[in-house]
Amino acid sequence: MSSTTSTRVTEEHSSGDQPIVIETRGLEKTYFGKIDVPVLFGLDIEIRAREFVAIVGQSGSGKSTLLNILGALDVPTGGTVLINGVDIATLDDDGLARLRSDDVGFIFQAHYLLDDFTCLENALMPITIRKGEASDKERDMVLELLKRVGLGDQTNKHPDEMSGGQNQRCAIVRALANSPNIVLADEPTGNLDSRSGDEVFRLMREMNRDTGVAFVMITHDDRLAQAADRILLIEDGQIFEISKEAHRRRIASQV
Amino acid sequence: MKPLGDIVISALIPKAYRFEFRLAVRHLFSGGLQTLLTISAVATGVIIVIFITSLIFGLQNMMSVLLTESIPHVTVRVEDPKPKPLEIPESPVSSRIEVSASRLKFIDNWEEVVAMLRGLPNVSGVAPVVSGQGFASKGANPVGVSVVGADPELLDVITPITKDLVNGRYKGLSSDEIVIDTELAKDLNVTVGERIRLTSSSNQADSFTIAGIYNRGQGRGSAYVTLRNAQSLFGLGTSVNIIYIKVYDIYAVDGLSNTIMALTKYEARPWTLDYSRNLTNMQMMGVSAYLISAFSLIASAFAIASVLIVSVLQKSAEIGILKSMGARQSQISTVFVFQGLGVAIIGSSVGAVVGTTITYLISLPTRPAVAGQEPLALFPVKIIPMYIGLAMLAAIITTVIAAVLPARRAAKLNPVDVMR
Repeated sequence: MSSTTSTRVTEEHSSGDQPIVIETRGLEKTYFGKIDVPVLFGLDIEIRAREFVAIVGQSGSGKSTLLNILGALDVPTGGTVLINGVDIATLDDDGLARLRSDDVGFIFQAHYLLDDFTCLENALMPITIRKGEASDKERDMVLELLKRVGLGDQTNKHPDEMSGGQNQRCAIVRALANSPNIVLADEPTGNLDSRSGDEVFRLMREMNRDTGVAFVMITHDDRLAQAADRILLIEDGQIFEISKEAHRRRIASQV
Repeated sequence: MKPLGDIVISALIPKAYRFEFRLAVRHLFSGGLQTLLTISAVATGVIIVIFITSLIFGLQNMMSVLLTESIPHVTVRVEDPKPKPLEIPESPVSSRIEVSASRLKFIDNWEEVVAMLRGLPNVSGVAPVVSGQGFASKGANPVGVSVVGADPELLDVITPITKDLVNGRYKGLSSDEIVIDTELAKDLNVTVGERIRLTSSSNQADSFTIAGIYNRGQGRGSAYVTLRNAQSLFGLGTSVNIIYIKVYDIYAVDGLSNTIMALTKYEARPWTLDYSRNLTNMQMMGVSAYLISAFSLIASAFAIASVLIVSVLQKSAEIGILKSMGARQSQISTVFVFQGLGVAIIGSSVGAVVGTTITYLISLPTRPAVAGQEPLALFPVKIIPMYIGLAMLAAIITTVIAAVLPARRAAKLNPVDVMR
């Protein structure tokens, strides 16, 4: 553990009066194999509506593992995870899929847009998966979001016809299409140049403010972490909430 | 304004499957060479099935036509008496068997029997016949010949003679005329218009003018006279000794024979008893057609399954992101089953068109015709529409089954593993 002042994650933050979207108690994850690899040790986390939380930590510290578990893509080996009050351990595959569809949006480092579909079709994909087809109202809502992220004139383009930043902006809209309670972003700016990265982050922040959807973002970009509401540090399989000041000092000490 | 494709999908595909359908269609279009390969595999399977079934069933059909067109399919006659032990008063058991002498046996009530037979199902023609052995002669050197007497109009339906005529005529045969085959004409050195003498086994004789000469290409044939002539030659009065029956379905003669035996006191013998080996051979040909068809469809199923497995591997990241967006396992597997179904429908349709065209083109060339006979097709294919439909259906079912394994594999992919 570094000398940085740290605490267990607390509820003393600006969104304390907002409902809890994700809650973990004693979350553990071990990868079992020839050699068992423990990654996360008993994490207690609360994410509330309207929050924008940054998760920082070194590569291999378990950030992505945590994010996958928070999004019900992966299951913990110990402890409980409640998404919107539902314990994911009680759900079968279809139940987990429904939970991801209804409550969670994902943004990855790679945009993972489907090459065979246009920007609009990609952005509508979560609705198409859930309902077979988007209604006119949902279509208009997604078109409006695409306009908001500056893709109003790119809706009929395929991913290979758009820039990396444009694709990632489309991925943001896709993550919001099903009106989730939380968006989990795994290094969403990691593949972008700093200008495009800043733009993508600005849009995520804007969406967070305008829609009230909670965002949890893994980032290696300290500037972006500083712009979040809260910063969570994962280190040695433990999670700590650190103040922005502590985070700044930590950065300074590492330079 | 919705794109045209969306409007078509909305009209045709139930809402619950539109996501899966859309994705499967895009996969097929973007698959390029892979899609073409799988479609080709299905089409090839269907082409082989259509070609093989057409060829083998064509051959089978030709063989059965050649075999049965000139023979009666069921022969009704008086049953030969069973050999019975000779009665010897002192001995309780006899080892001596009395065999009845061979002689012509009459069907006295033949007009009544013929009328009854014409009313039976599957019967296409009935001819009362007098049949026996005799000698034909022109001057010296009598030649043994089998003599058949019947109404030419009726007999021509059952054992066609007119179509095999090399010279002269059969229909309209008058009371002093005879039709013989080329072998007998050669042995007696006679031709149409000349007279020959016929002596029956009952030792009655008469002279006849040769009205026609036929060649069936099956060795020595019978000599044909009118029913009245044969009745007097063999001393049958107004009776006949055999009734010939022609049927529509040559493979359904056993039941007919049993019915006739139950309804009359006569023996009814189906052609299959005398040609059982040929029948078995033809049945084996049918079985081999089914086996070749099954193997070719299985082979194409393996090809399709392997290409689809590669497709699943290529799409694994896509499957991962779809799952992260809430796609259920059943939805993912349905995408790949739809993909297989699309390949199956397109491939089997292409295969049906190409297979039928190839088979039709192969049916066109003919062998040089033998004198007196119709030219035969070089490949006696028989395009059976039902088999085209069945080949398509079998290919579709096989392909969908082949798609299930890759589809299940796709459905079970762990998004965390494939999106690292």
